[in-house]
Amino acid sequence: METIDKISWEIRGDIGIITLDNPPENYLVQPGFVPLETLKKWTSYDYLKGIIICGAGKHFSGGGKLENLFKMIRDKENITESMEKGKAVLEHLENLEIPVVAAIQGICFGGGLEVALSSHIRVCSENALFAFPEINHGVIPGLGGTVRCFGKTGFPKAMKLIMSGDMINAEDAQEMHLVDFIVSKQKVFDFSFNLLQKLTRDRPLPVINAVMKALKNARSLSIEEAMKEETRMFCELALAEAKRRNGSREIQK
Amino acid sequence: MKIPDYSTIRLVLEEGIGQLELNTPPSNAMTMEFFTEFTSVLEFVKNHHAFRALIISGHGRHFSSGADVPVLLREILDKAETDKKGRLTKVPDFLSNNYKSLLMLESFRIPVISAIRGVCLGSALELALFSHFRLCGQDAVFGLPEASFNLVPGLGGIYKLCCISGQALALERVLKGSTFTSIDAMKYRIVDKVVPKKALLSTSSDFAKEVMQDFRVEKRALYIKKYLS
Repeated sequence: METIDKISWEIRGDIGIITLDNPPENYLVQPGFVPLETLKKWTSYDYLKGIIICGAGKHFSGGGKLENLFKMIRDKENITESMEKGKAVLEHLENLEIPVVAAIQGICFGGGLEVALSSHIRVCSENALFAFPEINHGVIPGLGGTVRCFGKTGFPKAMKLIMSGDMINAEDAQEMHLVDFIVSKQKVFDFSFNLLQKLTRDRPLPVINAVMKALKNARSLSIEEAMKEETRMFCELALAEAKRRNGSREIQK
Repeated sequence: MKIPDYSTIRLVLEEGIGQLELNTPPSNAMTMEFFTEFTSVLEFVKNHHAFRALIISGHGRHFSSGADVPVLLREILDKAETDKKGRLTKVPDFLSNNYKSLLMLESFRIPVISAIRGVCLGSALELALFSHFRLCGQDAVFGLPEASFNLVPGLGGIYKLCCISGQALALERVLKGSTFTSIDAMKYRIVDKVVPKKALLSTSSDFAKEVMQDFRVEKRALYIKKYLS
């Protein structure tokens, strides 16, 4: 177990677990929650097949602490730099070639919600609450949360969430495609862990990586480019599989 | 206009509606020949304005079980260009042509409807995902099983599923590789309507007749609301 900026890391089997570890509300110390170099180091183990992000105790995260933010804003260059770093961290997370699941219970606000939106699958408890409270303080989500939110919920619903600063519950969040699964609060972590295991257990890493790359392409490329890549990745795997089958047939002889 | 004969596809034109039937029984597997003929059929339909809608279905009980994997692997091993270390340097043309055909299908100015009975797996589901509308029988079974034989869908299936059903569901369905029912397909927004299987072809034709009057792909949701709900 390793800890930096109140974020802990451990590996269980072939699943990495990132815990937002600043109870009770798990406020984030840095906008990007963990330094990029640290995240890269943690996620570089080549046997990892998936990652879970969860909060310590009852909550996922209340986001950044306002006093910290205002302290940083006084120094304009500093805030720009740390926001850029934060964005790079969330982009790195989103572009990982293994699935990332956010296991959310209790509150998931502001920066916490931005982290959750950078994950590939969101599991939440029945009592989870979501909000972008930034607007109440005259700012907006600054780590790509607005764009990621539009992408999932469509324009009108994202507007309402971001402009109102209001809280929504798990059911509403699922209805607007902000979360993918709702489970009882005792089960959030176990459900997420089992889901990741079920998805990745029988799959070799090159297959998992190819699926994740294709999903990334779906977010960032035109349909023509994305399909060209999908066919190329299929062809690479097919070539390896054909050689493997050929090899095993020769052995049988 | 004389419609050519194809050996893996049946194409007929009735009252402006082209009926394209995948015809390699029993499960209408998509053979190498099928893909070649499919491209020709699409070009034929595109070039003849008598076709005002296209309905794609499978002959007999099933839509299609998808590509014939062992044959496909052999062809790729044979035709893919590689460097000295055996790494892929060029995707064989026949594979690129397959995804280009699906892009052509999607860009049709006439409505394309997949009417799905029985199994619709792998490349067959990818084909269906590139049509403008999908109707299915209650008995339909869907899936992208590629990952269970160490492959991934290669004809835009991941891309389309991600757009239609969202990233989490695409990830789950593709990595698991297991099949799912018509009810799930409806829940995932993969199909637009589930009907009793005996009524599938007539419902599809009736729907085509309505939509082909003023088809514009941007109005997809409107047609579904107006004619299918």
